[in-house]
Amino acid sequence: MTIGTRRKLAVLVAAIAILAMAVTGCDTAEEPEEAEGGEAVTVTIGVGAPLTDGAVALGKGMVRGASLAVKQANESQELKDLGLTIEVVEGDDKGDPTTGGNVATQFTSNPNLLGVMGHLNSGVTRVAVKIYNQANVLQVSPANTAVDLTEMGMANYFRVCTIDSVQGPAAADYAYDVVGAKVAYVVDDSTVYGEGLAAAWAGQFEANGGTVVEIEKTGDKDTDFKALVSKIKAANVDIVYYGGIYNSGALLSKQLKEGGVAVPMMSGDGCYDAEYIKLAGAANAEGDFCTSIGFPVDKLPKAQDFKSAYEAEYPGEAIAAYDAYSFDAAQVIINAIVKVAKDLGTDKLTTTEGKQAILAAAADSDFEGVTGNVSFDEKGDTTNKVVSVYVVKNGEWVPAE
Amino acid sequence: MTFSYLLEQTINGITLGGLYALVALGYTLVYGILLMINFAHSEMFMMGGYVGLGVLKVLSDPAVAAKAGMGFLEPAQSFFNSGTFGFVALLIATFGVSAIVVGVLGVLIERFAYRPLRHAPRLAPLISAIGVSIFLQNAVLLWIDSKQLPYSRADGSAFLTAQTAFNVGGVNVSTMQVFIIVTSIVLMLALDTFVSKTRMGRAMRATSQDREAAGLMGVNINKVIALAFFIGPALGAIAGVFNGFYYGSVKFNMGFIPGIKSFTAAVIGGIGNLRGAMLGGFLLGIVESWASGFLSNAYRDVIAFIVLILVLIFRPGGLLGEAVTEKV
Repeated sequence: MTIGTRRKLAVLVAAIAILAMAVTGCDTAEEPEEAEGGEAVTVTIGVGAPLTDGAVALGKGMVRGASLAVKQANESQELKDLGLTIEVVEGDDKGDPTTGGNVATQFTSNPNLLGVMGHLNSGVTRVAVKIYNQANVLQVSPANTAVDLTEMGMANYFRVCTIDSVQGPAAADYAYDVVGAKVAYVVDDSTVYGEGLAAAWAGQFEANGGTVVEIEKTGDKDTDFKALVSKIKAANVDIVYYGGIYNSGALLSKQLKEGGVAVPMMSGDGCYDAEYIKLAGAANAEGDFCTSIGFPVDKLPKAQDFKSAYEAEYPGEAIAAYDAYSFDAAQVIINAIVKVAKDLGTDKLTTTEGKQAILAAAADSDFEGVTGNVSFDEKGDTTNKVVSVYVVKNGEWVPAE
Repeated sequence: MTFSYLLEQTINGITLGGLYALVALGYTLVYGILLMINFAHSEMFMMGGYVGLGVLKVLSDPAVAAKAGMGFLEPAQSFFNSGTFGFVALLIATFGVSAIVVGVLGVLIERFAYRPLRHAPRLAPLISAIGVSIFLQNAVLLWIDSKQLPYSRADGSAFLTAQTAFNVGGVNVSTMQVFIIVTSIVLMLALDTFVSKTRMGRAMRATSQDREAAGLMGVNINKVIALAFFIGPALGAIAGVFNGFYYGSVKFNMGFIPGIKSFTAAVIGGIGNLRGAMLGGFLLGIVESWASGFLSNAYRDVIAFIVLILVLIFRPGGLLGEAVTEKV
């Protein structure tokens, strides 16, 4: 072997090593330390959410909500008696289906991972859920609203939020009956979530007797809507509906108002965040509507406990749209794990039998969560179907009349 | 569709095209001299947006300045926040600092990421450029924020309001649009004059024709290349600041799409040709705007790339590109 080829070989090996590190996320898995009794078992819950790209504000809130639930569980006597500890692993799906698939593969390669709380984006879940399904890993989403996700026959998939076939029409009714809009322009961001929501809204708005001038497609990372704004201005509409996430939605609202389209923009739960108002500018966002799933956090019976615990754990952080839902979704997973640990013993948790028992236990969930009663129908959809409308007033989202 | 609507979409297109053209100049300048596609150039656009936002915040928001340890700027802030004159000074400072900082960054990138590879196979600097691009994106992601940041004052209002500057044929043209179109055209004319009329410009043209022969004739090649890597990123940075003002936000990965589009503009115009980059930028901007305005927003990119394909079929060297004879 000459020096030349040896050097080439070294470069090749180094390249493969770097690639391998990148693929595995260079997380050298820490061995769970055995407690004195030797009986202690540590299991993992994955939290899949957009943390560096996409709807980051919502994604980080999901991690906080789920981590709070796990922390409270670990402190409970019930888990201590079982000798069970639950840890949280974050996976950054960037709101992107391809990255989400990688996150799912990474999650399922961990044998101690028993459930995934996530993902935020319906498009991400559509890819990831199949990977979890093959590994018998429970997935509970706090935020997926695309209708078809529970119609794919995935026994491992549940969600604690209402779906777009409820949210879209509720929003359209509000726009037609309460706002009094008769002519609408609909824009979506070409994602599974945005398209589904916009189509549901448009269908109901037309069924009510309204006119939808057009359903226009944009991209979920677009920032330039100037040409579209000129087009909407020429169409003389009463309302603009946007199906998508706040990143682009806020800029559309801003450019609409700056371009002289002085009508409110309405959107779905993806825009229900303070970031929306910050990005659009308070003056531009004023009077915009959005719907979100469930009741406002303040109005829920158990919400006060959640709020005070949250503020103690994360001082200075505002509660984002899905934090309470993430808390409940994580609770579904925790409850299922605890039930199986009691029935089969903690050593059986990570076996296939244990994982399947966890799926069955999750399907039977029935408890009073922060967001209301948490239970699922046979498809895995929540039985708690509530949608609330919010409006921007003085630079804040407040519940609309 | 009325004439005023056509005019409105055309003005939207010219504004967008101005931004594309400014970024495209950076691609074409570097390609003309080094025959290298600088894939990190889209990050210059992004860095420009961030540096501009930083300057704006530090010079106008006492809270930000105090946090950054620059509380001594407070007396200057009251000047920048007062009246039209102060605001114009604020804008000049923002564009100036952003262009210079990013220009210097461009020179440093050339010095450390490209110059050592100048005699390597052509694939090596290309990969190095992609590496620089990934590095810069992640640096901003880790050190600044992963969130999209609004281009706005402390109270949430926009720095530049979208007020109407004047009205042509029933179309309201905003100050912002006038500002972008005029500035980009002025900068392009200045660059064109610089390259065609000055001594340094002649050195650039000589280097682009034949680097080694120019070196033998006494042209300082490294200086010429460094200058190209200053001017290109500085123009990209100015486009980045405009982008922030015009569309309203910055994000660590915001450079990618405009980068691809501007590169397309450079290719349409004939890569390596400065006037071609300008023409390509405006053409692409107008085509996109028309496609979005008269067909559907979904077809916007499709039409833009169809134009690229048509140009490449009928004029493979680009609209203004010369038929290049292969250098042996």
